[in-house]
Amino acid sequence: MNGGSSQPAVVARDLTRTFGPFVAVDRVSFEVRPGEIFGFLGSNGAGKTTTIRMLCGLLAPSSGSASVLGFDVATQAAEIKRRIGYMSQRFSLYNDLTVEENLRFWGGAYGLFGAEMAGRAEWAVVTADLEHSRRALVRSLPGGYRQRLALVAALLHEPPIVFLDEPTGGVDPEARRRFWDLIDELAAAGKTVFVTTHYMDEAERCHRVALMHAGRLLALDSVPDLKSVFPQGTVVEVTCGRPAQAMARLEELPGVVEVALFGERLHVVLGNPAVGASLARSLDAVGCENATVRAISPSLEDVFIHVIARAEGEAA
Amino acid sequence: MLRRTLAIAVKELLQLRRDPRTALTLLGMPMVMLLIYGYALSFDVQHIRFAVVDQDGTRPSRDVAQAFLQSGYFDLVSQGRDPRVLDALFDSGRIQAALVIPSGYGSDLAARRSTTLQFVLDGSDSQTATTILGYARQIVGSVSPVIRKNARDAAVAPVPLVWYNPDLSSARFLVPGLLAFILMVTSVIATALAVVREKERGTMESLRATPLVAIELLIGKTLPYLLLASGAATGALVIARLLFDVHVRGSLFWLAAVTLLFLAASLGWGVLVSTVAETQQVAFQLGLLSSMLPTFILSGFIFPISSMPPALQVITHIVPARYFLVALRAIILKGAGPEVWWNQAVGLLVYGAAVLAVATARTVRSL
Amino acid sequence: MGDGGRGSGAGRALRTLVNILIKELLQLRRDPKILPILFIAPVIQLTLLGYAATTDIKRVELAVCDLDRTAASRRLADRFTSSAYFRVTANVDSQEQFDPLLQSGRARVALTIPAGFEAERSAGRPGRVQLVADGADAMSGTIGLAYAATVLQDASVAAGTVPLVSLRPTVLYNPDLVSRNYMVPGILGLIIMIMTMMLTAMAVVRESELGTMEQLLVTPLTPGQLIVGKLIPYALVGLVEVFTVLPVVLFWFRVPLRGSFLTLLLLTLPYMLCTLGLGLFISTLAQTQQQAMMLSAFVFILPQMLLSGFAFPIQNMPTFFQALTYLVPLRYYLVILRGVFLKGVGLAVLWPQALALVVMGVAILGLARLRFRRRLG
Repeated sequence: MNGGSSQPAVVARDLTRTFGPFVAVDRVSFEVRPGEIFGFLGSNGAGKTTTIRMLCGLLAPSSGSASVLGFDVATQAAEIKRRIGYMSQRFSLYNDLTVEENLRFWGGAYGLFGAEMAGRAEWAVVTADLEHSRRALVRSLPGGYRQRLALVAALLHEPPIVFLDEPTGGVDPEARRRFWDLIDELAAAGKTVFVTTHYMDEAERCHRVALMHAGRLLALDSVPDLKSVFPQGTVVEVTCGRPAQAMARLEELPGVVEVALFGERLHVVLGNPAVGASLARSLDAVGCENATVRAISPSLEDVFIHVIARAEGEAA
Repeated sequence: MLRRTLAIAVKELLQLRRDPRTALTLLGMPMVMLLIYGYALSFDVQHIRFAVVDQDGTRPSRDVAQAFLQSGYFDLVSQGRDPRVLDALFDSGRIQAALVIPSGYGSDLAARRSTTLQFVLDGSDSQTATTILGYARQIVGSVSPVIRKNARDAAVAPVPLVWYNPDLSSARFLVPGLLAFILMVTSVIATALAVVREKERGTMESLRATPLVAIELLIGKTLPYLLLASGAATGALVIARLLFDVHVRGSLFWLAAVTLLFLAASLGWGVLVSTVAETQQVAFQLGLLSSMLPTFILSGFIFPISSMPPALQVITHIVPARYFLVALRAIILKGAGPEVWWNQAVGLLVYGAAVLAVATARTVRSL
Repeated sequence: MGDGGRGSGAGRALRTLVNILIKELLQLRRDPKILPILFIAPVIQLTLLGYAATTDIKRVELAVCDLDRTAASRRLADRFTSSAYFRVTANVDSQEQFDPLLQSGRARVALTIPAGFEAERSAGRPGRVQLVADGADAMSGTIGLAYAATVLQDASVAAGTVPLVSLRPTVLYNPDLVSRNYMVPGILGLIIMIMTMMLTAMAVVRESELGTMEQLLVTPLTPGQLIVGKLIPYALVGLVEVFTVLPVVLFWFRVPLRGSFLTLLLLTLPYMLCTLGLGLFISTLAQTQQQAMMLSAFVFILPQMLLSGFAFPIQNMPTFFQALTYLVPLRYYLVILRGVFLKGVGLAVLWPQALALVVMGVAILGLARLRFRRRLG
């Protein structure tokens, strides 16, 4: 009924949303395959939340179209809502109710009652590691537990696809890792996970990643393929005692495409790998002795910066 | 200390400016409300729904019925000969009063025999009923020929004179009361959420890290609203003067002083509420409950305090509008100087100080 | 699986509703400050205000200036002193002394018996007295004058001057003209209105501000379900409040309930529908809780207090405002309350008011639902 694995779970065609003169989402098109972890990567204000809200039937598109599980978001929102799970960016469960009361309520909102509800509540509590906190008021739970609760609450009615909007905001790295383990389990079980994030390391765990910037979709591919935008050896990491001066120097060099500062380290994108050898000498000239240059495999962050720079260059 | 207080005041003012709806509402509401209700409300009883049951049908009976109608107070709803229709008419509220003229009225009058007219009233609203009865008595008194049993002792005739409000127009009486009521409610609503919002948003935490002292915070938060409320009060008084003919007989300076005192006290109450409540919802409920009904009923706006049971008269002392109203009426309507109403001003001062003290104590605990 | 189709339509709808109800009630219970506000405050308010809301003016403060000082003038002054209507607070020698007394409120009516009073009457001419009333307090002033007129009329009658036609008043429904019987049911209506509107006005806005609204909107719950789900628990709370406050009205103030208790309850329901609905409607209009508060206070509660006929009779209002009052639910409810308590009438007489309330309630809820839908972007 919800289509076999050949049908895309989500389809967006030129999806656009404006708020007055401000274009939040600008002609975005993509498809999400069933069973994949689809990441929407971008900084704050890129349009990720707006896109997700349109897909969930919370916001109407200004133009363009989208469908989820074959249902149109503009005209069949009610059908969509029954079949999806959603976790909003802001914590949106009831702080003044207990874990159990929350589960029972949200399950009930999806039509779960009686024995079936009890079964799913049990599953939820175990999965979220809240077995010993059933009767605890949600506001007394630490942040990481609250996030997991929100996730399992969204899954009570076993939807085939779940939308997660920045699900790990404000949570410590350990909790984030465990959260993503859960996501992996879901995908392994055949669920489609549509997740937005601004954490690069999380994006690396997705099957495919879409890069959003200023409302536009700049790139969409699997992680390895995204990284292949840089030929082998063209990304090097430079450490130097005076990063600011180094950066200024490197940017002037021909053969250097981009320089980005990561704390004390510089990631340099080269026109071709051979340039790497001459970098150290150039750096000596600026008083950076003991500068080290080594080739690294590009991170998504490098890709992201590169893609954005390219887009802005095109725009200019 | 002054500078820190001002800093908070400026911040609050800026936040208010970004929320023009709230600022405009607080500024304009009192004026708008005075305008509306000043026109709408009155105690003057008119258009009394009236029925005449004339069982006599003679010229004198028609005369007395006419006297009622010509007085201008009574509107004829029903006329007939059968008193049994009255029950249903009263029950349904279609009439408020009825004159029943017994058969034989005319002949009794001609024979100089004393006779009695029956006047039936809906007593539910006793105040209106009393007034209606008063009218009726007056009308019958003016119509009835008088016989003197004793040539010597003639009647006693009153010559009434009314000071301060010569035509007893209830507008002049109502407007000050309305003003006090509206200003109180507006003030409390303005400030009741003030502190709670910081608590809910969590900005209280950052305030805690500053050298700010509780009292500076509270006064600073109240100042912008005092400004707004003063503007609103001024506008309202202007409207009262222009549209409702309420001239300030007394000194404008004292009027301003007393009003400022009152505004400070009522704003202070709102701030106190906001220090007691933990959520905006509770602040709202507490603020509303503590300002609306009590001020409406206990301030002397409508119901005279002197008619209340003594225990309750004591309780009215916790309603700041009570003090304000006495002073307001004295200054506006009677032109009285401070020697008459100074104790009200003191009451307001004490109230304001007490409220500020408690609010400060509560805030100190959380700062 | 996962498509929400379980069980029969009606059964499912009911269970969903119960689900929402349970959540609301749980939340209410968890807030410790709310419970006393909900259940104790109304009782306290009614008790205090029931005592205060009296228009029975007793013992008007009177100042007397007897410039005649004859037996006749003293007799007249005595009538006033011994009258239950007045309380003589000052006996002065000259009219100038009235000024400070009236200004400070120590006297509300001042009586001057001019020199020559007895002489006039002995000569067969009417003796004129002068009455000054403090018009700044119009109520006491008018009533003071009316009382004085009565005392003077009695004096005339005692002196042997009898009007041919006298008036015999019959007072229906409230024979002793006790204003409390009229006011207290009115206060009941006011309290119900304020309490129920307060509850619901915040209800929806709070969910928005806390973030749970978005989660609610993404579920299959329809706006209609959400509204009814918020309505019912607060209606229940409102009913409980009525039950806690009624004993005060009936047994403490001893307001006679001449009609049927059941009718009272039955007709309270459509009124609560209106007030709760209004609160919900406000909730869908306001974007912040502060806005909800201001909106409900200024646009909905205050007008109802002033324009419903509670303290200011509607018939005294200009025609425009009288027409406006048809939109005020409390107006109809006051008629119902006073009808059932004082007049002892029932549905047969009060059906127009009941109908008006039902129609208004449904309309308001419809509006609320419409606004709710629009929030979806």
